[in-house]
Amino acid sequence: MEDAIHVQELTKFYGSLLAVDHVNFSVKSKEIFGLLGPNGAGKTTSIRMICGMLRPTSGTAIVAGYDVNQKPQEVKRRIGLVPDISNLFGELSARVNLDFTGKLYGLDKKTRRQRIDQVLELFKLKERQNDLVKYYSKGMHRRLTIAAALLHQPEILVMDEPTSGLDAQTARLVREIILDLNKEGRAILLTTHQIEEAERLAHRVGIIDHGNLIALDTPEKLRNSSAGVHALEIRILGDVDQQKWIPMIKEADGVDKVLLVEGKIRILSKDLSRIIPVVVSLVDKNGGKIENISVAQPTLEDAFINLTGKSIREEPMSKEEHVRSRLARSGLR
Amino acid sequence: MRPFVGFMHAVWIAENDLRQSFKSVRHVVWSLLFPIFMLFTFSFRYGATGPDVQFVNYLIPGIVGMTAMFGSINETMSIVWDKSLGVFDRILAAPVSSTSIIVGKTMAGAVMGVISALVLLLIGRALFGVSFANIWTVLLILLLASFSFTGIGTIISGLASEPREAMMLSNLLRFPMMFLGGVFFPVENMPMPLPYVARALPLTYATDALRASGNPIAVLIDVVALLAYTAGTMLVGSQILMRIMTR
Repeated sequence: MEDAIHVQELTKFYGSLLAVDHVNFSVKSKEIFGLLGPNGAGKTTSIRMICGMLRPTSGTAIVAGYDVNQKPQEVKRRIGLVPDISNLFGELSARVNLDFTGKLYGLDKKTRRQRIDQVLELFKLKERQNDLVKYYSKGMHRRLTIAAALLHQPEILVMDEPTSGLDAQTARLVREIILDLNKEGRAILLTTHQIEEAERLAHRVGIIDHGNLIALDTPEKLRNSSAGVHALEIRILGDVDQQKWIPMIKEADGVDKVLLVEGKIRILSKDLSRIIPVVVSLVDKNGGKIENISVAQPTLEDAFINLTGKSIREEPMSKEEHVRSRLARSGLR
Repeated sequence: MRPFVGFMHAVWIAENDLRQSFKSVRHVVWSLLFPIFMLFTFSFRYGATGPDVQFVNYLIPGIVGMTAMFGSINETMSIVWDKSLGVFDRILAAPVSSTSIIVGKTMAGAVMGVISALVLLLIGRALFGVSFANIWTVLLILLLASFSFTGIGTIISGLASEPREAMMLSNLLRFPMMFLGGVFFPVENMPMPLPYVARALPLTYATDALRASGNPIAVLIDVVALLAYTAGTMLVGSQILMRIMTR
């Protein structure tokens, strides 16, 4: 069976800034593919090019058999795009918004009425269908943008950060919706900067950083790809500020990377048996007491750190990354 | 079949734009309040005890033209709002041609210009009994003028990076146009070199044509000038829009 999306050497320059750098990947039919990377990594730019909203500098994407550079309209007909920020018309009701979207996709009046009823029912928005969208909550906005993307029954769904900015309960609901839509046979390409989300939803994950796709595999294999790297977690007693221990431990022999994860110091190393005594004596020598020590399973995050050299959560955006993410969103935003 | 589909897309985009503008009654009232206020302020001349009928007859066509300008340019501001709110992406992600988007936005601007101008025309008629020689000529002039103003608005919205910038830019153009475009003061009475500036503004031709709607030759010259403006501004405006849409 042919791939739902086939991305070939996709590249985008904003002036001299390289936002997406010769990216290659495929989304198989009936697959959930996660594009994982920090803000400004080039996820949104990639998606905009795949959906035919932004012209690639070079390279292309073949969507459902159509080249996006040659047949953007055919590509758009087959993709349902759920943007990261609601882009519905706030001054119009949900029903009118959906009707307008349906018109743009060329649905006739009867089909529009049927499908709008269907999606409103499905996403539990029927009672509020005539309210202006600007009075909707964030969760309702997200549900309605997904509903709008499904109106023309696309084969492929593209979702940009589908759960970002949602409370835990709504995020869970959206994840269930994504899994259901996939079960119905749709290929889904989603972007996320949350490791857990990629791990929970995606069949395969591509890790993107600085516009480069640096790894692509199933979450399990990516996790194991930090092969040989093990994680040790310690907590130092009574010390609220675990941070100050990090530079010290980083210097120790055999330690690859040290970072703070959920209040614990996470130490990555290829040789745990060697570093455990080193770390213990180091802490002891400096007047600390270890409250808790454990060997942790390598996670997708460890793989990410291993590949990119940084944690996805804690690094603030550099100026260049900030410019990148602004460029991806500006102009049309 | 395809040109028809493209045209319908444009109609729906225009309809959607206008629906949002008219959805908010306050928005409509506020935007019309300004020309109404100008009409009443200027209809009383200094020293006179009541409205100066002769001057009101001169003033109303000018105000009607000015209202078309404000209406059209306001409507095109939707482009920059759409860009900043991301709703432009909704249209861009759909299988709609860029031409349809441009035509749709333009139609919305022109319709808004004509409708708001007609409201002022009716008010002038009801309150001051001002009459126009031929309503069809008036409609044609208003439509042409509104198209040329829409072109100007499109250029501003295309160039501006955010709504506030677009608002400032549009006021920078609208207010001088209002005072130099023959709305309140005849162009002939302006000191040099202002008449030359006035001749460069589409509003001048619109107000002149509205006043002379009984005189075919004068109207024809104005119509040609407005046509040229419409073509020029639309061409530039659509190029700018096309560039942002297909980046």
